[in-house]
Amino acid sequence: MKKLYILVVLLLMSLTAFAQNGRSLYNKYSDLDNVEAVYISPAMFRLIGKIPDMEIPEEGSVNLGPIIKSLSGLYILSIKEGNVAADLYDDVSRFIQKGQYELLMEAKDNGEVMRMYTVGDDFVVNSFVMLAREADEVNFICLDGTMPREQLENLIAEAAK
Amino acid sequence: MKTLDEITRLSAEDLERISLDTGIPVPEELSAKVQEAVARADEAATRVRRLRWALPASGIAAAVAVLVTIGLTREPEPKDTFDDPYLAYAEVEKVFSRISGTVAYGASKITETEETLDKYAYWK
Repeated sequence: MKKLYILVVLLLMSLTAFAQNGRSLYNKYSDLDNVEAVYISPAMFRLIGKIPDMEIPEEGSVNLGPIIKSLSGLYILSIKEGNVAADLYDDVSRFIQKGQYELLMEAKDNGEVMRMYTVGDDFVVNSFVMLAREADEVNFICLDGTMPREQLENLIAEAAK
Repeated sequence: MKTLDEITRLSAEDLERISLDTGIPVPEELSAKVQEAVARADEAATRVRRLRWALPASGIAAAVAVLVTIGLTREPEPKDTFDDPYLAYAEVEKVFSRISGTVAYGASKITETEETLDKYAYWK
């Protein structure tokens, strides 16, 4: 019986550990003062995907057509430097560690740090996170979905040309 | 005195005959010992019956605890920032442009480093 209780406690602890994600961070910070927050829901992504005009890119813009339908959530938080920004940076760093994210890229310049992470497998990206600590603000971008890795990488590489 | 093995090999008729033989002395404490053994067996059986109920009950309790925890840790869905899908699309486009810009910046740094290394290798 003791073993069963230990098992239940461990299960509950693991559930709590998994509880922090893009959404929970967004819910925690989005209503605070001096925080710019943007959320796009799965329903809105479905709506965007159904509008055919959206898939025709304007000159110089990014063609999101191939990937937009695979997105299920976008969370953006932008916080001016201060205690709240430092808290967000720490929370995101913890969430990255616990969520088994893989570092995609890191850039550092004059004390500014920008990191990109993904979680998924060789073929699908389930979550993409960009965390940037700039001189006067901290930015967090989290994209959730079932994005084909190749498409996502091509899209970023194409736009970076 | 017969061994246990010998007793188990006896037929029912032999056992009946021996039990009716009043010439064999019966130990005084035998009856109490038999009653005690029967009581112990009864108690063990009751314990097993109790466990049969306890195991599924604890399983159900664990499942309920897990469901309650999932319910408690489930985050409420935030409100959409945009009502207009065109504005939402523009925001997603902006995000990808920003990500791409950062990747381009990283790539330019790599190119700069490569050029510096090439120059160093040339002068060396």
